[in-house]
Amino acid sequence: MTTVEDASGIGATSAGSEAPTLFLRKATGLVRGWSVRDAVIYACLSTNVITLGVYEFSFSSPFPKGQLLTGVLISGVWVTFLVIAYSGLIVTIPRAGGDYVWQSRILGGPVGFVFAATGWWFILWLWAPIYGAILNVEFFQPILWTLGWKGAATYFGTHNGEFTICIVTIVLAGLLVSLGMSAYARFQKWCFFGGMVGFLTVVVLLLAFSHHSFVTSVDSQALKYFGVHGAYQATNHVGAGLGQVAPKTFGLGAFGDSMLLVPLLMFYLLWPNWGSTLYGEIRGASDFKRVFSGMFGGLWLTVALSVIFLLLIDKTVGWTFYNNANAASFNLKGVIPIWPYPVMMAGWLVHSEAFQVILLLVMGLWFFGWVGTLFLSSTRVIFAAAFDRVLPDAAATVSEKRKVPMASLVLMLLPAVGLSALYSYWGKFGSYTLDATLVIAVTYLFSAFSVVILPWRKPELWRASPASRFKVLGVPIVPLAGAATMGLIIFNLVEWLKNANYYVNSNDSLIFMGILYALAVVVYVVARLIRKRQGIDLALINKEIPVE
Amino acid sequence: MGPSVKIFFATDIHGSEVCWRKFLNSAEFYKADLVILGGDVTGKVMVPVVNHGTYWQVTLSGQTHQLESGSELEEIERQIRNRGYYPTRVEPDELAALNEADGSIDRRFTAEMISTLDRWLDMADSKLRGGEIPCIVNGGNDDTFDIDDVVEASPCVTFAEAKVLDLDGFSLASMGYTNPTPWDTFREAPEDELEKRIEAVVGQIPDMGRAIFNFHAPPYGTGLDEAPALDENMRPMHGGAVMKPVGSTAVRDSIMKYQPMLSVHGHIHESRGIKKMGRTLAMNPGSVYGDGVLQGAVIELNAKKHKVARYILVNG
Repeated sequence: MTTVEDASGIGATSAGSEAPTLFLRKATGLVRGWSVRDAVIYACLSTNVITLGVYEFSFSSPFPKGQLLTGVLISGVWVTFLVIAYSGLIVTIPRAGGDYVWQSRILGGPVGFVFAATGWWFILWLWAPIYGAILNVEFFQPILWTLGWKGAATYFGTHNGEFTICIVTIVLAGLLVSLGMSAYARFQKWCFFGGMVGFLTVVVLLLAFSHHSFVTSVDSQALKYFGVHGAYQATNHVGAGLGQVAPKTFGLGAFGDSMLLVPLLMFYLLWPNWGSTLYGEIRGASDFKRVFSGMFGGLWLTVALSVIFLLLIDKTVGWTFYNNANAASFNLKGVIPIWPYPVMMAGWLVHSEAFQVILLLVMGLWFFGWVGTLFLSSTRVIFAAAFDRVLPDAAATVSEKRKVPMASLVLMLLPAVGLSALYSYWGKFGSYTLDATLVIAVTYLFSAFSVVILPWRKPELWRASPASRFKVLGVPIVPLAGAATMGLIIFNLVEWLKNANYYVNSNDSLIFMGILYALAVVVYVVARLIRKRQGIDLALINKEIPVE
Repeated sequence: MGPSVKIFFATDIHGSEVCWRKFLNSAEFYKADLVILGGDVTGKVMVPVVNHGTYWQVTLSGQTHQLESGSELEEIERQIRNRGYYPTRVEPDELAALNEADGSIDRRFTAEMISTLDRWLDMADSKLRGGEIPCIVNGGNDDTFDIDDVVEASPCVTFAEAKVLDLDGFSLASMGYTNPTPWDTFREAPEDELEKRIEAVVGQIPDMGRAIFNFHAPPYGTGLDEAPALDENMRPMHGGAVMKPVGSTAVRDSIMKYQPMLSVHGHIHESRGIKKMGRTLAMNPGSVYGDGVLQGAVIELNAKKHKVARYILVNG
């Protein structure tokens, strides 16, 4: 992307009366910067407040002294540094391969492969059943129960049902990869706008109705759909029995206790950089601002939506009830037989099945606008590794007729199906949800380290980067932001690994993640040996040719 | 003829001096027998360096520098060249007089381009041991026709456009034209005309079993030609996430028809990749010239079996 807006000369006009500072001639690739609005939408869908945020909020009961509001705000501020660091990397080395390219270039090919393969490929196998679980609890289950289709609803609550939905999710994501991004990107945008209409509807409901109306609605609708009497009181009773004693009131709370929610909230707030791409050849300050604005806007739009959601939950749902319902569900003692989806309960304020189903369908757009991203990054990493001869050439083959990346789909789909089976049938495995965040966070850690050392490791590249011009007290902010990002991720890693409440540090979980890293190392080492025998030196890939 | 021929192929350096220097050193670095540059050699941007008497002023990536010493001036000009831009020293009134309407910008651009190319070819003479290491350069759609005679005149660099060159028993057929782009560049032609140009050059190949195509445009729909989809205002659509094939159908059809052993391409920088098309191994090493990195392909040809023995895409 060239910022023609910055330029003047041939094909562009000089800004005002100022003398031109560069001239462009007629040439390929001189395009204008892409829309910040698009970038905000993608970043907002990636840090998805409904599918990821609201889902993860319900797992906060092991941290009863932490306040979600404070945790979300701390996370937003801290992840902003990640946005700055990644903006720096994107405008310095604007490549679609992202972390793989940056780490390979700055830290070396083996590091790039191991952390890209684990963070953008292998761990996506685990994300497949997580996506499936979210589709189940936010879409299928509430809709089926509302429609009164108890048989189907009950089935999707069983292990077989959960596995079926995982397969549906995997097939859906695989199909979207096969069909290409063009139509899906348009669909994504409509999903975003539709999802926002749904969100606004929930906001209006929670604003318009009183807490008293909510209590009576919960009681009447839970009785209607689930045959549960006095659901509101019963939920609070179960919550109290579980020792869900605090926070009884909503607020900012203690900073330290809320900090412990940050490693939990990374499940949804760590991804504003998920879809960031930059194409172009003439990069200026406006590119850095544009990339930063897109991700920053998306992140803080999500934070704002989260804050609105939490404030309204406190106002209408009641903070104690919300936490009790989540704690009861988390401990498999829920009064209603499904996850207490706040959107479903907000819909209960209007005693109309049709309205409730429509609201759930519209809010489902948050999922469908997001699911396509599941396997896209994996395809890119697999292709890049195949072109680098680390993976067999066949891994990058695309079918002639339909242009489907068959081999890479197999490399993604089959393991994803296997992990989905484990996730669905082996309850223990289902608790490894945050492993999915941890492994990607480790990949980010190395990219953050790359940006910290970039000015020393690649001084010429850094000097040429628009990112090098943004300074505070003479110190470039991008490497500083990289250091702050490393701080964020190291803090999270320490908490994830030392605190059992995140369910990451169990032996089985660590073994699972260890296998992923070992697999990446083994693939790289085997590839290196095989290629050596074939007379191909993989070490050459990123070795720099001398200039003089 | 030896048992194998090792080629280093790079493309689309777009005026980046650091990439040209690396290209000249690539034969020694990769132990290649010959080096090929596939087109789009010249830069797209000219940066005025304005003489204000006691200092020189230049704006690079939006940052304005005032340079008082000769060494500062040389350093910034080096940085400009490495990025693929042409620094041009001007007086303030000269800068004000440059304008598109009377063609003075074009003339200035061409002069800077040609003087840079002359200097590059002089460098090649010393780096390539006076022609001992064969070096083949072709034009691309972004190269004006002014460069053809300049490269043709070089004693140690061979200009390849529309020719079939013998590479130790293998035949290299070259064409720098591409199918039309939204930018209406210099060497573009509709697909039917491209087909005629391809036929004209391919017709000179004595043995198709030993043929190598060096066509700047990648074959359509092969994954070697994926570029960000643009809207009517030349903005990447959907945040740059949507790619579409923009290669040439004439190039694709010629590869499928003649099945050369190897077909090397450029033009679409983002589309680094490899594609097997029947017997043909097609590749586009892509380009990141703006980063000062020379992407390329090291390819070893087996002279006895008439096939590509091994290859690797590199980021030099």
